[in-house]
Amino acid sequence: MLKAANLIPQRRFVVVSGVVVMLMFSLVIRFFYLQVYSHDTYKKKAEVNRIRAIPLNAPRGLILDRNGQIIVDNYPTYVLTVIPGEMINKEKNFQIVSYCTGIDTTLLKTNYKKYYRGRFLPARLAKDLTFDQLSRIEEHKQELTGINYNQFPERYFSEKINASHLLGYVKEVDKAIIEEINEKEKYIYGDLVGWRGLEKVYENRLRGIKGVHFVEVDAYGREIGQSSDYEKENPVPGIDLQTTLLISLQAMIEKMLDGKRVVVLVSLPESGEMLAMVSKPDYPPDLFTGETTVDDWQKIISNPDKPLLNRMTHGLYPPGSTLKMITAMSLMEKGKINYSEKINCNGAYELGDRIFHCWKEEGHGEMDLEQAIAQSCNVYFYHVVQRLSIDEWANACNEFGFGQRTEIDLASEAKGVVPNSQFMNKQYGRWGWSKGHLLNLSLGQGELVVTPIQMMQFINNLSMNGRAPSLHVVKEKPQVKRSVNRYTHQTWKRMKRYMQNVVSSTHGTGKRANPEIPGLKIAGKTGTAQNPHGEPHAWFIGYGEKNKKQVSVVVLIENGGHGGVTAAPIAGRIFDFLFSSNENMNLAFSL
Amino acid sequence: MIQLFFQKFKESSISLIVIALFLTGVGLITLKSINTGQEGTLFQLSFFKELFFLIPALVAFIIVFFIPRHTIHRFIYGFYGFMIILILLPFLGNEIASTYRWIDIGLPFGFQPSEFAKWIMVIALARYLSDHNLEMNHYSASIIPIIMVIIPAGIVLNQPDLGSAIIILVPLLPMLYWVGARPFHLFLMMAPMISILTAFHWISFAIWAIIMIYVIYKAKPNLVFSISTFFGNIFLGLLSPVLWGMLKEYQQKRILTLFNPEIDPLGAAYQIIQSKTAIGAGGLFGKGWGQGTQTHLKFLPVQESDFIISVIGEEFGFIAIFILITLFSIFIIRTLRLAYNVDDRFSSLVLVGLGTIFTAHVFVNFAMTVGMIPVKGLPLPFVSYGGSFLLSSYIMVALIMNLSIDPKDY
Repeated sequence: MLKAANLIPQRRFVVVSGVVVMLMFSLVIRFFYLQVYSHDTYKKKAEVNRIRAIPLNAPRGLILDRNGQIIVDNYPTYVLTVIPGEMINKEKNFQIVSYCTGIDTTLLKTNYKKYYRGRFLPARLAKDLTFDQLSRIEEHKQELTGINYNQFPERYFSEKINASHLLGYVKEVDKAIIEEINEKEKYIYGDLVGWRGLEKVYENRLRGIKGVHFVEVDAYGREIGQSSDYEKENPVPGIDLQTTLLISLQAMIEKMLDGKRVVVLVSLPESGEMLAMVSKPDYPPDLFTGETTVDDWQKIISNPDKPLLNRMTHGLYPPGSTLKMITAMSLMEKGKINYSEKINCNGAYELGDRIFHCWKEEGHGEMDLEQAIAQSCNVYFYHVVQRLSIDEWANACNEFGFGQRTEIDLASEAKGVVPNSQFMNKQYGRWGWSKGHLLNLSLGQGELVVTPIQMMQFINNLSMNGRAPSLHVVKEKPQVKRSVNRYTHQTWKRMKRYMQNVVSSTHGTGKRANPEIPGLKIAGKTGTAQNPHGEPHAWFIGYGEKNKKQVSVVVLIENGGHGGVTAAPIAGRIFDFLFSSNENMNLAFSL
Repeated sequence: MIQLFFQKFKESSISLIVIALFLTGVGLITLKSINTGQEGTLFQLSFFKELFFLIPALVAFIIVFFIPRHTIHRFIYGFYGFMIILILLPFLGNEIASTYRWIDIGLPFGFQPSEFAKWIMVIALARYLSDHNLEMNHYSASIIPIIMVIIPAGIVLNQPDLGSAIIILVPLLPMLYWVGARPFHLFLMMAPMISILTAFHWISFAIWAIIMIYVIYKAKPNLVFSISTFFGNIFLGLLSPVLWGMLKEYQQKRILTLFNPEIDPLGAAYQIIQSKTAIGAGGLFGKGWGQGTQTHLKFLPVQESDFIISVIGEEFGFIAIFILITLFSIFIIRTLRLAYNVDDRFSSLVLVGLGTIFTAHVFVNFAMTVGMIPVKGLPLPFVSYGGSFLLSSYIMVALIMNLSIDPKDY
């Protein structure tokens, strides 16, 4: 068909050519109008005026506590910027700036390189300028072509609390950091981006939208005024973040625990809202905003207590006896335990050729299940746990969320380990492990490791009969994402009664957690977890209830000794703080 | 061989390649001016890079010029399929500037397959329209060509590259017109788009409705067809604000910036003013090479490609702009003249299509630098910096020169 003849009517050729000529002619007219007719206007504009687009930084959203108290705020600082292409003499300009501000020229040059984005885009030279420095710059403005200053909102943290692991921090975007950001196009060098904690998780909400205003400047870079051609676009501040924290409680706990290696978590089991989250030791939250000195940094890095570690979500610990509840509940549910069955504890239990000790060397004597939980008798559990297989036990642990992330809205968290037969086979070989390991595991020792935040979820499930909403730090609707369904109502009820005995019976290990407030019922469990790093870790998990209002608490003290002796009293003070004053109660249950 | 080549070359319209080379020269001179004051190694400066890109472009020119037309005719459908795959490829690669236009071929520069889609599309269309000796005055004859064009245009639009999508679509209209489609049918093809666009203001929509009535009345199709066409378009127009409202805000914004980037205040609006100021300040004779103060318009991130006219306008003035527009006009009209004179319909259609591509590029590029139309990322043929497009442009010149000669035994 290549031979199809070409028979084009001349009219069509004329029409098409005509359209082309018309289009081209319109271009000629337009260019003539601009370049010849309006030449003078534009010539003036080009020679005298230049329009400069000045970005207006949007303040990040505030971070608030549950009652609207400000935890993280912004305060305005002034930054000095330079448009490289407008500088006439770089060396001289830097010298004048250095003279005006007292900042060393080498530092100015380092910043210049760090924030350089292009010849006609502002690069930052210095920040946190005082009015003194600014006014001296203003005096020399004539010599300082291309150099400007503008406002920049900096993060400001409440002095009442640190909560540094939780809040996280912001970093300044530079060449290295921009490579790691998801939405690169939304940032320029010098912007702030949430880097850890809430600042990172809620970056999209906290980050505002930049505005811009256009000023006309003369050939010397002096501002003449607002540009008439463009309208100013105001920046849109970021959205405030309403957290569920109770700032007074967080402050009280942080103060109480200074100098220890400890985690304390407080939440409302009914909604999953976190009231307080403390991981000690911590670091001042503004560590990363100012120019951190090398010394400060060294001090933090070399601290053997690792203040940068977020123990709440990344600390892995054996849970100790707090896990006995899982063993007990699995046995109850499978009908493998008789509530009146008594087992004699003489302080030790022999299995094969190994001897397992109770924490109480002289023994507890005759124990039933209720007493064994209240007094945390190991020997009783050595006996009964053998009725379970390791996989039955591991499944029960998994169902309570151990070995999995809690999905709390913090940047990341550890999963922990719940060993099952597969795991043990891998670790010790098919025949290398025995019932003895299960005895150890069921007491929360050995390969089993959990994070404190998982323990929070565990105790909330115990208080909510397995239907605890997932934990969260930012206000949202309570949602039960994962529930524990296997147990009957009776089992939950019985478990609660036993846990109340831990705190209220005369021999209970958790007695010290009871502030003895009329109407307040506390249920809990202590734990004392042996570990190779010295003294055992001390645990207390529990919840208090008064007038149908519940608060749950997890306390972990690294190498703190006996849970009942060191951890329980801390929980006691928290219960006391919340339940003894109506004011605090109202604040805690306000949302 | 070489003799044969020169013989063929002598018979062709040499003026086209002369104009192309002259325009490339203007581009290189301008790039050199932009480069003054820039730091960087040889291969970081656009002048040298463009010079380097010229080598493959000229080699491709010679090869394509020499390919017999029946070979082009035979293999173009295969190329069309290959092209579709090629423009889908960037979606597998990395995002560059949040778009998927480029293929990383392991060289220090990327490769932009949509440039090649433009002329492959034209040749494939030309083959279809010439092969099927269609009764072009029947409406249904346009359906397959429309589908052929819509597929690549849709893919390219998703890259997202509105400019290239338009260039892929636009040649269809003149090509259909060229083979005898009724103007009324071409009007019907464009009508739905205009209905949607005009629906956002009642005055524009009312004017459009009146124009529709007039055109339909003049064309005199049967009554049912007229009424359904008219009300179909009205309905589409009325529906579009509703559909628009159903989109999420960020989706709306994305579409708006696609059509009118000026709503991004730090972006295009600022660029256009800077560009207009530069061009206006150039005056009749310009400020001279390397003298553009405005200029070295570092405000414009794409001054070397899309906004190169701003630099030329400032440094060489209206005279240079006038010469450039004249040269482009001569180039395009010459192409159309050849299309009118050539013996076979296939070649004629290819020439018309390629002429349209050049016209669209030139008009859109010039017009956007002076704010006549919203900013579209379309470079100026031969002048703008950019390897893929330079290569593509020279292939198109080769095609025009090749197909416009009377077929002998080449």
